[in-house]
Amino acid sequence: MGVTVRELSFDYGGAEVLQGVTFDVPGGEFSIILGKNGSGKSTLLKLIAGILPYRQGHIFVDGYDLKRLSVSEKARLVGYLPQFHAPVFPFTVEDVVLTGRASFVFAVPGRRDREKAREAIERVGISHLLHRPYTELSGGERQLVMIARVLAQEPNVVLLDEPLSHLDLSNQVRLLSLIRQLVSSGLTVLAVLHEPNIAFLHGDAFVLLKDGKIRTLGRGERPWDSATLQDLYDVAVETLPFRDRALVVPI
Amino acid sequence: MGTILFYSIPVFLIVLSLFVGPSDVVRSADIVLWIQQKVGVISGEQSDATLMVDAIILNVRLPRVLLTFLVGSALTMSGSALQALFKNPLVSPDILGLSAGAAFGAALALAVHALPLQLTSFVFGLIAVGMSYFIARGKRSVSTVSLILAGIIVSGIFTAGLTFVQFVTDPFRLQTIVHWTMGNLHTASWEKVTSSVIPILFGAAWLLFMRWRMNVISLGDEEAKAVGLNPEKEKVMILVPATLIATASVAVAGIIAMVGLAVPHMIRMVTGPDNRKIQPAAFVAGGSFLLVIDTIARTVATFEIPIGLFTTLIGGPFFIVLLKKSRMLYREN
Repeated sequence: MGVTVRELSFDYGGAEVLQGVTFDVPGGEFSIILGKNGSGKSTLLKLIAGILPYRQGHIFVDGYDLKRLSVSEKARLVGYLPQFHAPVFPFTVEDVVLTGRASFVFAVPGRRDREKAREAIERVGISHLLHRPYTELSGGERQLVMIARVLAQEPNVVLLDEPLSHLDLSNQVRLLSLIRQLVSSGLTVLAVLHEPNIAFLHGDAFVLLKDGKIRTLGRGERPWDSATLQDLYDVAVETLPFRDRALVVPI
Repeated sequence: MGTILFYSIPVFLIVLSLFVGPSDVVRSADIVLWIQQKVGVISGEQSDATLMVDAIILNVRLPRVLLTFLVGSALTMSGSALQALFKNPLVSPDILGLSAGAAFGAALALAVHALPLQLTSFVFGLIAVGMSYFIARGKRSVSTVSLILAGIIVSGIFTAGLTFVQFVTDPFRLQTIVHWTMGNLHTASWEKVTSSVIPILFGAAWLLFMRWRMNVISLGDEEAKAVGLNPEKEKVMILVPATLIATASVAVAGIIAMVGLAVPHMIRMVTGPDNRKIQPAAFVAGGSFLLVIDTIARTVATFEIPIGLFTTLIGGPFFIVLLKKSRMLYREN
């Protein structure tokens, strides 16, 4: 179960963005990818989501070889929250979430699909936005709508590219507890996060990405050690012990 | 209730349009007599007057009214489907070069008698869209910007071709071509209705099937792929029927401007952006819109005004006012 990535390499037609990446994302846990801007985090998520095609390496999701799955089979297995999103037409929140059902729909979504969309909207806690035009929402509200869309899709693995960006503190806390809920109901969540403190407070497992390669941990080394973070982000940081992990302070 | 009312609009309009027209030979008293004979209220020999009514209503007005409705529906459905497909409210059948391609084909057929008009126009319309599509096609995907650019180039090529055909054609046939490019419905006949009804209804049914997928596609390629639709495949599945109905319409009625661009906007202002509502509404409202305009066009003057001029003159200002009033229903991006 979970996601298994083996010797995955990728380039956009120029320099390699990912070079022989190998790691495991344990099933039923909240895993977080950390790394600098441009280290290949978003590309990695897109590859696992099946958005980008890859030639070298292997990706297995819940034991299925991603290469052998059709677009709609992938969608039933993996849900993906893209980083930026701005549609042209002012669809209502309900209609946007309903598009998450595409891999189940023949021509037009039925009653069951509408129910699933409503459930997802309630679960994220945005029922009050149901009939609002998506284009008129704040960045944070849009983020929640797109997360509801991922949930309506009913995937086993949820990939989130910076899900906390644009969210205020209360929505951040709400989303993190929602992620915890999803994980305890058996889903696998893999997210790219920019804020190491949130990552270390809430994540179960960590994938460290540096210059398109996995930065492996040495013996006894932990992701929240200041030396590890200095190496990963190329800046000086100090850490304060907090609970059984650490808080990161940039200096 | 409102829905039933909306979908019964065409029936009323079609019946009404049958009894409106400039022909002096048709007097209202004869029409009444003719209806009474038709429904069997009175029996007896048909007079010359009722025979004339019979001919004008059944062989002149009925095919024209039906053709007008079909053309209006086709252009509007095609336009709104293309707008959803390209995530761009400024797109219309003209933008892909398909109108220009179809027009070139038709002009060629009018100049060279051996070529069948409908088929030639249809084939060149498809060729034009195919050209736009393949010029714009990158390694893996077709980007919106490059597709629109390609459409402009292809339009230019076929418009130049059309001009060349006009240049080398003798003056007598030239007049027919010029008239045809202005868009007109007064040459409507049962032959034109039967040649266009099948492609238009087939394409319309196909687009109706795709109507919800248009929503998914208009959110963006990555967003469509993430939920399990292959954007390239879905785009072709929308592009083909949208092209089919638009070229079928150009083949019988020439280029009728504004309908494919303006009417989808008017509909969207009422229904909102959900294509599940837009597509069926486009069939009804698009046909009704053109029918009303054509009925006016053939009634107000003693001579035939080309419908293309009328749709631009009426649709243009109407569209501008609506656009200003609606506070722009879509995002600037």
